[in-house]
Amino acid sequence: MKIISILFFVLLQQVEMADSLRQNGKIYVVAGVFSIITLGILGYLFFLDRKIKKLEEEIKEK
Amino acid sequence: MNKYWWKFLASGLLLYTVWFGFSGEVPRQPILNETIRNVYFHVPMWFGMMALMISSLVYSIKYLQKGKIEDDIYAVEFANVAIVFGLLGFLTGSLWGNFTWGSPLPKDPKIIAVEVGLLIYAAYFVLRGSFEDEQKKARLSAVYNIFAFASFMPLVWILPRLTDSLHPGNGGNPAFGKYDMDNSMRMVFYPAVMAWILIGVWISTLKIRIRLMRNKVNEV
Amino acid sequence: MFREIKNLIIKDLILEWRQKYAFNGMILYVVSTVFMAYMSFKLKTNSIEPITWNTLFWIILLFSAVNSITKSFIQEKAGRQLYYYQIARPSAIIMAKIAYNFILMAFLGVVGFIIYLAFMGNQVQDMPMYMLALALGALGFSSSLTLISGIASKTDNTAGLMAVLSFPIILPMLTMLIKLSKNAMDGLNAANSRDEIMVIAGIDLIVIALSYMLFPYLWKS
Repeated sequence: MKIISILFFVLLQQVEMADSLRQNGKIYVVAGVFSIITLGILGYLFFLDRKIKKLEEEIKEK
Repeated sequence: MNKYWWKFLASGLLLYTVWFGFSGEVPRQPILNETIRNVYFHVPMWFGMMALMISSLVYSIKYLQKGKIEDDIYAVEFANVAIVFGLLGFLTGSLWGNFTWGSPLPKDPKIIAVEVGLLIYAAYFVLRGSFEDEQKKARLSAVYNIFAFASFMPLVWILPRLTDSLHPGNGGNPAFGKYDMDNSMRMVFYPAVMAWILIGVWISTLKIRIRLMRNKVNEV
Repeated sequence: MFREIKNLIIKDLILEWRQKYAFNGMILYVVSTVFMAYMSFKLKTNSIEPITWNTLFWIILLFSAVNSITKSFIQEKAGRQLYYYQIARPSAIIMAKIAYNFILMAFLGVVGFIIYLAFMGNQVQDMPMYMLALALGALGFSSSLTLISGIASKTDNTAGLMAVLSFPIILPMLTMLIKLSKNAMDGLNAANSRDEIMVIAGIDLIVIALSYMLFPYLWKS
């Protein structure tokens, strides 16, 4: 009897997994994908910005 | 290329795809669930990369024909942005794959193709780095660019069709166009591809203008 | 055109014959790599899986190909190259080099294969098909590596760049070759390998055509 109750207890417990990204039909995966793209493009823009700044300084020096 | 209308077009298309990409109706499928929406975001990266690689190729051919250093600058910057798009496609793909195929890097010909593509363009930049003389650098790297592109093509178009692939449209898998993607999805997908290609070209033209300006500054 | 190519090939063969040490070096390279594979697989475990057997052979072949083709443009001094430039067309030079490298690779492939068989045991069921794969591979390696070696020879770091530039380009062909030769090992019906043969032959053709068109631009600089 005791064993059965322990088994029940185990079955009732939900298996704890890292599934926060799997909730709501995995919509957060889509959000993650979109954020990666946005971050990538934004990072690239900052990189470009720095290049332009360098160029501007060069022009100023001349 | 300095006109504004196509940049507004790109922005409009992108806004449209983001709005309808997240809120529009999509087919309900097991395992994929809502991630089918990634078709609007992950797949256009691939298309954008291909479009930029082809532009780079065209300018390399142009350079070999005419020998103008501007054409070489165009080719380099298109290749540069193509690498960025390839990396983004690769990263987003591994996130998506992690939650649908169960592995960020499954055995798949398309993934191998993009890895090899990135290797080829990395080699292209290593090659460029090993020359001092502008014209020599431009000519040799243009030759390599054309040659590499030609051997990259079979990897993208032929090999995936001969082997099994997880990606739709290859091996045993039916294409998105046939089964997975319905008409309402296509209404978002094609504008998304257009938008990302235009944005890729836009970023490239910015880089090209910087390089051209730098050349002018150095001349003075 | 054909006479030019023929003469250039003969010239290369004579040159190779005169400096036999380079050629002997290549053979020794293959022998010692095969022996290394033998030491680390056959002696240690006495068993090797067919897939490993096949892939190992192609990788050995690829490395010896890269090694031997690298020097196709640097063994001749700049002065002599200028001389060729005056007497022969660049398209003839590249075709001759590809043909010569093909002969070299085919020979190296066969010799390497015999040595490999001797050390690692035979696992091939359909020998003619494997030979066909070897021939297609020799053609593919020679055609795509010759132009790359032309590019790499213009830089200071020839050997290093050769590997970096050629591996991604040769990869599609290598995967197809490994598949085709694996089919031959398993003794599959020839009809099953038709796709692979067509694709490899197609790649070979494209690469040769491109080398023919692009080499004049290389030669100028």
